[in-house]
Amino acid sequence: MNTKLKKKKQKKNLIAYIMIAPTMIGLVILNIIPFFETIRMSFYKSGSFGKWTFCGIDNYIKMFSSSGFWRSTWNTTYFVILTVPIGVFISLVLAVFLNAKIKGRTIFRAIYFLPMVVAPTAVAMVWKWMYNSEYGIINNFLRSIGISNTINWITNSKTALLACAIVAIWSAIGYDAILLLSGIQSISKSYYEAAKIDGASGIKQFFHITIPMVSPTLFFVIIMRAMTSLKMFDIIYMMIEERNPAIRSTETILMLFYKESFVNNNQGYGSAIVIWAFLIIGVVTLVQFIGQKKWVNYET
Amino acid sequence: MKKKWVRMIAIALVGAISMSLSACGNSTTKNNGTSADGSKKAKLTFQIWDTFQQKGMEDLAKAYNEKHPNVTIDVQTVNWDEYWTKLEASANSNSLPDIFWMHTNEFSRYADAGLLADMTDLYKEDEVDYYNKHFAKGLVDNVTYDGKLYGVPKDYDTIALMYNKDIFDQAGVKYPDSTWTWETLKTAADTIHKKTGNFGFLAPLDDQQGYYNLIYQAGGHLINEDKTASGFNEEGTKKGLSEWISWQLDHDFSPKQAAFAENDFTEIFMSGKAGMCFIGSWMMSNFYNNYKDINWDFAILPKCDNPVKGEGRATIYNGLSYATPAKGKNVEAAKDFIKFMGSEEGMKIASKSGCAIPAYEGTENAWFEQYAGKNVKVFVEMMEYGVQFPYTKSKAEWGDKVTASILEIYKGNKTVEEVSKELQTLVDGCIAEE
Repeated sequence: MNTKLKKKKQKKNLIAYIMIAPTMIGLVILNIIPFFETIRMSFYKSGSFGKWTFCGIDNYIKMFSSSGFWRSTWNTTYFVILTVPIGVFISLVLAVFLNAKIKGRTIFRAIYFLPMVVAPTAVAMVWKWMYNSEYGIINNFLRSIGISNTINWITNSKTALLACAIVAIWSAIGYDAILLLSGIQSISKSYYEAAKIDGASGIKQFFHITIPMVSPTLFFVIIMRAMTSLKMFDIIYMMIEERNPAIRSTETILMLFYKESFVNNNQGYGSAIVIWAFLIIGVVTLVQFIGQKKWVNYET
Repeated sequence: MKKKWVRMIAIALVGAISMSLSACGNSTTKNNGTSADGSKKAKLTFQIWDTFQQKGMEDLAKAYNEKHPNVTIDVQTVNWDEYWTKLEASANSNSLPDIFWMHTNEFSRYADAGLLADMTDLYKEDEVDYYNKHFAKGLVDNVTYDGKLYGVPKDYDTIALMYNKDIFDQAGVKYPDSTWTWETLKTAADTIHKKTGNFGFLAPLDDQQGYYNLIYQAGGHLINEDKTASGFNEEGTKKGLSEWISWQLDHDFSPKQAAFAENDFTEIFMSGKAGMCFIGSWMMSNFYNNYKDINWDFAILPKCDNPVKGEGRATIYNGLSYATPAKGKNVEAAKDFIKFMGSEEGMKIASKSGCAIPAYEGTENAWFEQYAGKNVKVFVEMMEYGVQFPYTKSKAEWGDKVTASILEIYKGNKTVEEVSKELQTLVDGCIAEE
């Protein structure tokens, strides 16, 4: 290669680097540096106002031997089990209906998308009132149809996490359905026409055409939903307060992280917890990426 | 040519981003230079946590601004729950608000870290020994660290018994008075519950407006006097704590913890469904202005019938203070504003808008006048045997953990005995690390 060409290529590269620089600088300053900083912090014991002392892996030992930590890990797992399969399935069914030729389709699409536009804290506050055992609309409705025993939705440790999961599903299905809808719309009509000629029913079409053809989008939605559920914080934090008897059975990993880092002022220990959350999310995502080869269909 | 364009845009973008990033690091307050008359123009930020006192603080800011037109003060209210998280974060990034409220839970930690400005000599030129002359000793102690004052006392609060007159009349029970003891309270609460169907007494898991009072009435203590050890294993402490818990668990007259988690006990009381509860004086402004249709009044706290030691009387008092950061950009202006707020005039302005009981002795009347028809004097009367809201330097660390442990008793997972033992070890451990 002659020098002139080489120089030209270098110049081209330089411009490319400059072009990606804004994003890269942002990413490095706001994400990558704090990430490594967090790893470093997890090996320190934090005192008041930035007094730090190195403590080796003490934070991790403390973490793995704490029952509260394992309980929050289980709570998070349980929350993912509650929200992801059901939430994604409902979204998919909804997307199919929103794709159908019904009157006022656009209005329905807008309505289902609305929860996504509302601030999660506002959503949580409204649901908290609806769940209220004495004055809430849900128990009032149950009473009116004859179920008179009061259900303590958010203060009974058996139902509290479920109640939060319902809110999370409710807020997410609109967004997921719109994503899936875009996937469904890109499926060629000819598949359905062929299926109809062969006499396949609507349900058969759904399982044998829609699901395989929408699988790349479906995979994306599942990954995103699983990540969001693993990182669940805002809804539960708003709905379950510190003195709620059900606090222990609803505390997720990120809530524990928040409590240790910002309420108990123990950022070092909090960092260790959040590293654990990172590992879990990483592993879950990795498993899904390996598993997708078996079911995701990239041919269109 | 085209490439040159691209490069320029790229450079401009990088420049813009790095500039906006560096702007983030700047503190929120800036001196706006010098005004015409030569004195410094300043815009101060004033952070508080109580919405109901915002107006009072704004009145103070306005009154000060009239005298010092160069200084404008912006009052910002942050929820109690986020207040301390935010304050610590801004302390770490060296961007504390110019003036902020300080609470005894956190005071020694901030003072110890050298974050608060020394106010010992604030009134030196006006009056010798100003603080001791005009403020109760306990309140001055609350802002004293290592012999120096790091704040000006703002107010104090005590706890009283609040009762609903209509419900008492309906049940035919005599209003509470100074002869009441724990037993009288329980009997009255029972009668109210049986006769009217309302809750007789509200006994939520609450420290300042709950079990702290009973612990000291029973002759126990959370922290010993020189703040070197906790007292959870003391007989009096266990007596007070288990008594408070039993009011909820062993009687029908109080809602259970699950109900309190959904509806704050003050909400239950103000919806006219309860006969009595313990209440802090800082709630007055809210209640008086927003719940005119409920016929409520106050009495002093009932005493313990057979305390382990002492007279059986106690109420928890606590005092807030005004503080300013030691290394703030506007220290002088902020100090001068605090000096104004700590003066007799400032205290009167604050209490007129219904803020908490002013710390400056002799200005309480302005506060009483705001609540005509209500027996608010009991809040001040009880100061005679008031006990300072217990704290140590590491209170922020153990305060919430104590509540979390006691919650286990309410859930029936642990006994008072077990939790007391746990807490003794926990709090002693925190104190040892101070």
